[in-house]
Amino acid sequence: MMQPARTASGPTPLSIALRIVALIAVVVVATWGAHLIRDALDLTIMPDNEQTVHRAIMLGALAYIGLLALPFVPGAEIGIAMLTAFGAAIAPLVYGATVLAMLLAYSVGCLLPITSLARLLAVLRMRRAADLVARAAPLSRDARLAMLLDGTPPRTVALALRHRYLALALAVNTPGNAVIGGGGGIMMMAGLSGVFAPWPTVLTIAVAVSPVPLAVMLLGA
Amino acid sequence: MTPILQAAAAAVVALGTGATAVTVMTKDVPDFAVPDRQWQPGAELDGRAFRLSGAITETGADLPETVLSFVDGRFQSSRCQIYCEFGWNDYRTSRDGETIHFTSTTRCPDAPHTVVWYGIVEGDEMRVEGTWTTRRWYWTRQINLLAEGSPTSPKVEAISG
Repeated sequence: MMQPARTASGPTPLSIALRIVALIAVVVVATWGAHLIRDALDLTIMPDNEQTVHRAIMLGALAYIGLLALPFVPGAEIGIAMLTAFGAAIAPLVYGATVLAMLLAYSVGCLLPITSLARLLAVLRMRRAADLVARAAPLSRDARLAMLLDGTPPRTVALALRHRYLALALAVNTPGNAVIGGGGGIMMMAGLSGVFAPWPTVLTIAVAVSPVPLAVMLLGA
Repeated sequence: MTPILQAAAAAVVALGTGATAVTVMTKDVPDFAVPDRQWQPGAELDGRAFRLSGAITETGADLPETVLSFVDGRFQSSRCQIYCEFGWNDYRTSRDGETIHFTSTTRCPDAPHTVVWYGIVEGDEMRVEGTWTTRRWYWTRQINLLAEGSPTSPKVEAISG
């Protein structure tokens, strides 16, 4: 049976445009849904309940930071719940808490010995990765990067290493990243790896986690 | 640098980044803009009190039972007293013929709430509006009120504090 010929030229401009339109539609529908949920919850902050709401927000923010910083623990839902309940007004707090959680996980990763990372990968049955980390452990930061690039990884891995901050930003924003450790796990690994310098990492995270809070603020959800 | 110093530096950077982001992104909401008049320390409403009937502008909800009392140059809202023990505060007045304008800015001693009142008293009736603004470090919330007041007895027993 003849198979239809597949073009090697990739997606057409029309298909890209359709995907963008679909993405915008999803954002608009999600915003509309958030409005409906918020109206249904009727969480009006009045003088008589403001103190209680404030305490709940502080508790929620602490839980959000703690859970988001832990590998393989889903915590983003708390932030989304806060955005849904309180709308654009709470977006700065959710953004700040997300940045804090990511940098907390990164800091813990920086302070953990790289041998811990190797053991962790071994426990997770990621043996090749564990071997790679074990070989990289005694090397300097530059030597580690050179060793990783001199190996035989697929082209995309080499590309990701060269543009590692961009790769980091994409990884923390990828839906379903909980299967590879979630935002906290990714940042902890980034810190453990030793190939992510602190200031570019802070800058990367500050930009990378901004789309959702920014969208909520701009759309006034 | 020792690991403890590294941890401290990382914590400072993380906290600073988060707090700066929240502060920069948080928009302030100004208090009620009281009209510019020749305001004097208040005394002309002393001994009088008004029971309010009105609504919260944002929600349309009825204003809970509230009595505004004026005693010895000081002012108190019974509802603010219940919510946050605002106590007695100075008020200012400005006369326009038989009409008395008054204003008072009160603050809760235990929480970042600021209430600004502006009212007009004509005879026995009062028309009052104002804002309740809460400025937390991560957001500013405000509600507006609009009400009319009718004469009642002042709550003079509470002024000793």
